[in-house]
Amino acid sequence: MSEKIVISPTSRQEGHAELVMEVDDEGIVTKGRYFSITPVRGLEKIVTGKAPETAPVITQRICGVCPIPHTLASVEAMDDSLDIEIPKAARQLRELLLAAHDVNSHAIHQFLIAQDVVPADLMVTAINSVSEIRKNAQYVVDMVGGEGIHPSDVRIGGMAKNISEVARKRLYARLKALQPKLDAHVELIIGLVADVGFPEGLGVTTAPALATHQLYGDRTKFDLERFTEILPESWYDDPEIAKRACTTIPLYDGLNVEVGPRARAEVYHGFKDKGVVAQHVARAIEMKAALSKAIDILAELDTSAPVMADYDIRGTNKLGIGAIEGPRGMDVHMAQVNDSKTQFYSALVPTTWNIPTMGPATEGFHHDFGPHVIRAYDPCLSCATHVIVVDDEDRSVIKNEMVRI
Amino acid sequence: MVLGTYKQIVHARSTDKQIQKISQDGGIATGLLCFALDEKIIDGAVVAGPSDEMWKPEPTVALSSDEILAAAGTKYTLSPNMWMVKEAVRQYGLEKAGIVTIPCQTMGLRKLQSYPIGVRFVAGKIALDIGIFCTENFPFESLKTFISAKAGVDFSLVEKMDIGKGKFWVHTADDVISFPIKETHGYEQSGCKVCLDLVSELSDISTGSIGAPDGWSSVLTRTEPGETIFSQAVDAGLIETKPMDEGKFGLEMLTKLAKSKKEKAMKEIDQRKELGLPVPYKASSEKEDPLANV
Repeated sequence: MSEKIVISPTSRQEGHAELVMEVDDEGIVTKGRYFSITPVRGLEKIVTGKAPETAPVITQRICGVCPIPHTLASVEAMDDSLDIEIPKAARQLRELLLAAHDVNSHAIHQFLIAQDVVPADLMVTAINSVSEIRKNAQYVVDMVGGEGIHPSDVRIGGMAKNISEVARKRLYARLKALQPKLDAHVELIIGLVADVGFPEGLGVTTAPALATHQLYGDRTKFDLERFTEILPESWYDDPEIAKRACTTIPLYDGLNVEVGPRARAEVYHGFKDKGVVAQHVARAIEMKAALSKAIDILAELDTSAPVMADYDIRGTNKLGIGAIEGPRGMDVHMAQVNDSKTQFYSALVPTTWNIPTMGPATEGFHHDFGPHVIRAYDPCLSCATHVIVVDDEDRSVIKNEMVRI
Repeated sequence: MVLGTYKQIVHARSTDKQIQKISQDGGIATGLLCFALDEKIIDGAVVAGPSDEMWKPEPTVALSSDEILAAAGTKYTLSPNMWMVKEAVRQYGLEKAGIVTIPCQTMGLRKLQSYPIGVRFVAGKIALDIGIFCTENFPFESLKTFISAKAGVDFSLVEKMDIGKGKFWVHTADDVISFPIKETHGYEQSGCKVCLDLVSELSDISTGSIGAPDGWSSVLTRTEPGETIFSQAVDAGLIETKPMDEGKFGLEMLTKLAKSKKEKAMKEIDQRKELGLPVPYKASSEKEDPLANV
């Protein structure tokens, strides 16, 4: 006899999602469906018709966990649409910003899974370690991006300002000092994940890995021809779920894909392991790579070099693509500029790629492991948090159809 | 207390000949910042540095003594130094920033530190605030206009400007022209008319020429860090001091001018309040001491 286990909303996540698992008599998941119940964002519509500079400022508000990738993807899309070649130092600063953000964001992710993998006696150690890493990584974001959460200095055409030589040396010294701490942290996390004893094969999917770059993002590796987008009605075989799901289903070569640190590791480093443990391990290892990269950039950055290109804001209606490898995966923004206004804007955010993959990843194991699988892949849905109340009087849309908390 | 809270008040000047030569009066702001930088008490400072245009200062983050020296001397026009504070600790990466402010900016700085909205981690990184005495300030175009009109000199020939003995002094290469300070009224920015602070009451150290003999400054140390840095600089021999002249041209004059600025401003504040205009101060009827800087 099949039973249905519903977790709504899934916990220790940013945003609201629902995990519906059909289970057999032993409680083993036979069919997993994961979908976002956070209603329409509409941010792409907000920026349409406005000056191109509006887009990065508005779209970075898509998420407070992931503001840097959204800002970068947005300016990269605009750069592409306006045919701007940004100066080398600007590119370095952007890469530095993302690398630092990666370290910070992965640490947040580890904080969110701490309850799952850290025993009580080590909890304080683990949380302190996370805090220490975040503090240092955010210090870099503060200085390079201008603001710690929503960076003000990332601009179309480059960056608003280069950092000073003092700041460069200071950041370099600070990140160098962080390196042994991060190494210890990564070792701690990998060890703790191994100690949990997750069953072999948990969270493994057949979805192909999609990534455009080891750490930064490369629009030339994202082929728009191979991308299609379908409505939830054509994806979820349960009409009730299809009706309530709030995201479209993006496909690459007609298939749902996996994005994120493990996908990047598979595509660029031949990382073979899959599943929950592999997700945590790949994420932890990527922190080291990102920190090394940040240090390398700081070692060679020319702080007197220009960071802003000259450009013509009017545009030619070219479809610009910005592909950025955010902590949770590939974040693609697309923009068209003509007559100095954004004519079209669309964002394909990391979690949207992962959503159709995460549900089936719960299959074949006891439903108790379901949330572990979800959190291993992606702890946020905030790419989709902007509520629209259709009927202010009875608030029926929210109560009956959307977010049931 | 029209001079605000202070620990000590003295006359002082920098002993450095180079600073004496380029500074406005006693070279206290320049001397103290150079000293604090050398001693690593600060790692940089927001100052009114030179811009592309003569006499038009630009808020600058000075990271070396040379850059501080380049900003020496008073410019009688606005330099929005607060504008650079955030940048100084973000893009410039300062951990212990120094800053030179005129009274309105001193108030802004303290407000920023008390309510750090939009300036995360900035408040704690301000290590030293040197406040400058200020009676009023002029927009750049105002300054240009009244100098050419009243002194009859081309603005580009001006080598030094000064206010003292009730007059505005304009030095050129071969001439010194003066006209009564009263004649500049109407040219100052309107905010100065409601300002209750002459001596940067909220700074760490205040300094200015009022009440001091030529080539000297009056200095008030106000906070623990301000007092410490000042006495260290004195001990190191970089600043010499002499007791404050309590007489008519000393403390008495400073007190008199500070009081009259407050009284004039209070009148204007009360008047504006009566008209229902927004003023960021209390009316005299709303506070215990009508001259308090609140």
